Amino acid sequence: MRKAIALLILTVAQLASVGADDAKLYEVREGTKVDAKTLMGWKTWRALACERCHGQAQEGLVGPSLVERLKVLSKDDFHTLMQNGRPDKGMPPFGGSQMVMQNWEGLYAYLKGRSDGAIQPGHLYPIE
Amino acid sequence: MLLTGLAAATDLETAMSDSKNWAAQAGDYANHRYSDLNQINATNVGKLQVAWTMSTGVLRGHEGSPLVIGDTMYIHTPFPNNVFAVNLKDQSYKWKYEPKQDAQVIPVMCCDTVNRGLAYADGKIFLQQADTTLVALDANSGEVVWTAKNGDPKIGETNTNAPHIFKDKVITGISGGEFGVRGRLIAYDVKTGKKVWTAWSTGPDAELLVDPKKTMTWTNGKLAPIGADSSIKTWKGDQWKLGGGTTWGWYAYDPKLNLVYYGTGNPGTWNPAQRPGDNKWSMTIFARDLDTGMAKWAYQMTPHDEWDFDGVNEMLLVDVDMKGKKVPVVVHFDRNGFGYTLNRETGALLVAEKYDPKVNWASKVDMKTGRPIVDKQYSPQTTGPDVNVKDICPAALGSKDEQPASYDRKSGLILVPTNHVCMTYEPFNVEYTAGQPYVGATLTMFPTPGSHGGMGNFIAWDPAQGKIVWSKPEKFSVWSGALTTAGDVAFYGTLEGYLKAVSTKDGKELWKFKTPSGIIGNVFTYQYGGKQYVGVYSGIGGWAGIGMAAGLKESTEGLGAVGGYKELAKYTTLGGSLFIFALPGDASATSAAR
Repeated sequence: MRKAIALLILTVAQLASVGADDAKLYEVREGTKVDAKTLMGWKTWRALACERCHGQAQEGLVGPSLVERLKVLSKDDFHTLMQNGRPDKGMPPFGGSQMVMQNWEGLYAYLKGRSDGAIQPGHLYPIE
Repeated sequence: MLLTGLAAATDLETAMSDSKNWAAQAGDYANHRYSDLNQINATNVGKLQVAWTMSTGVLRGHEGSPLVIGDTMYIHTPFPNNVFAVNLKDQSYKWKYEPKQDAQVIPVMCCDTVNRGLAYADGKIFLQQADTTLVALDANSGEVVWTAKNGDPKIGETNTNAPHIFKDKVITGISGGEFGVRGRLIAYDVKTGKKVWTAWSTGPDAELLVDPKKTMTWTNGKLAPIGADSSIKTWKGDQWKLGGGTTWGWYAYDPKLNLVYYGTGNPGTWNPAQRPGDNKWSMTIFARDLDTGMAKWAYQMTPHDEWDFDGVNEMLLVDVDMKGKKVPVVVHFDRNGFGYTLNRETGALLVAEKYDPKVNWASKVDMKTGRPIVDKQYSPQTTGPDVNVKDICPAALGSKDEQPASYDRKSGLILVPTNHVCMTYEPFNVEYTAGQPYVGATLTMFPTPGSHGGMGNFIAWDPAQGKIVWSKPEKFSVWSGALTTAGDVAFYGTLEGYLKAVSTKDGKELWKFKTPSGIIGNVFTYQYGGKQYVGVYSGIGGWAGIGMAAGLKESTEGLGAVGGYKELAKYTTLGGSLFIFALPGDASATSAAR
């Protein structure tokens, strides 16, 4: 059973790594080990306390579920959203955060990995 | 000028002395939340029924309570902080005040867009808006008399607290402990809105409003002067500038001593390793002169916080018998799980005992030093960043949060709504950016293991002995301010939405009613047309109910504040209404119903 789950995760990860632009969006092993860029994405998620609104498993609290939103949100729209926020809905603009502006692609990769089900919720580690 | 100041105080004090009114959030200066009304009592409360209801038009967490002065009720809402004056005769609106606030303030509000209510004095209604604007409204017309600005939302400063009127001053605070805000208490003139003093929680002596030689603190078994630079020498470098110590709780005032009592919140980032030192004066009870703001004494409950145990909870001023002597004390139920009793005149520490026996982060408070004896097993400072510390009790939201207790003047007991929740806590390094979250810890929360399985208790506490007299378990945190009355009844709301009445003697449940949404508001009472009414807001939200706003899925993972509270979704959803209850029949009939 465990093997089957591991295989499934591997398959999903492989699928996810074959992006439309042919670039690897993220790399994941065993659900919790990720590439350096995605790891920084998770660290950015953690540092900016995103879980306060979106929940620790990204399933939504006062903010929407990112597991669902990332299925439809394009990378460009994600970038715009991170910069400008949606203040009336409670989403802060992160244009003033160096950490977010430097790592937004990693953050997108991390959230996409969560949305795809390839990356597990909670603490992440580097691929050794 | 002085005379008009005194007249202003008389106006509120007269209103508070008549138990037909509910003229202040706690009903009085002392935070008793007690009423002399006894038409509704332990014998007949079982017959209580809905008299009328009203929608507030806002679906977020409803904290605090309305005010009643004479024939008018003043209602407030969470953001956008609307205010309605309601004619009690027919529940029509006398006026409405609907402030236009920049929506940019919403993202920087921690833990839901709550507001803890209005204040009344000098013919004015005072509103502390989320965007840090303090507004004085004409109580008759709703017209703005004056406004004052006490913070800047761009750097994460917001307000959730109720303004407090003491004598001729409006006292307000600041929120933003999760944004590196530097806390302070601010006093304004009731008549003009002119700022009178600002007392910072951290920083140089002159800004703290302390006298190094005269401001006292409990140390080595006695009171001693705090000495020079008491705050800045307990911080690394200039970290005190992001020092936290915010002030969003329930303050109290002793007119005889002319002292204001309040608590300060958590220090800077939640990662303790990043801010060595005691981090004074975060997590502190302050007693300050109302006219000057100068601190008479200060007592830090949780030096170098490692758990987010804000010290802002209500200060109850009572007189207790200790060793045959009547002692004026301040009683405080801290987030850290200890119930403190201090001599409110001197600041001497008299009692510090756990009001939840499952509290484990400290074995006890050393009564000589006044410091907690921390258990290293539950110390994120000891384990360091990126280590997940398990099974800390209580959780960050404390054995009790802002939900205020009630002092039953008849029995001398304090009835306390509490949380019964534990947590895991994993700190990590963070950098400060103005206006961005400055937290630095990931938490999961769950019901206290090895207990009744629920996440709350409603308890009766003896403040002289530091002992629980009785305890009534609840499925969820009791996040509603309690009320006790001369009718030997205590009232409180639950997160499922019940308003409950229990006997003050033993906690036995006498009556309950299910409102449409969870209750995090405070119960209040008043009399109109010869009849006693009891009321409460129904509208879940706040920290405990924050998960209600979006659909949650089943998950094996703990979800911070939601992990243990996920079950709530089976019972309630968002709401925003006011419920008013009364006994059936006319006033004379209910009086005779005994």
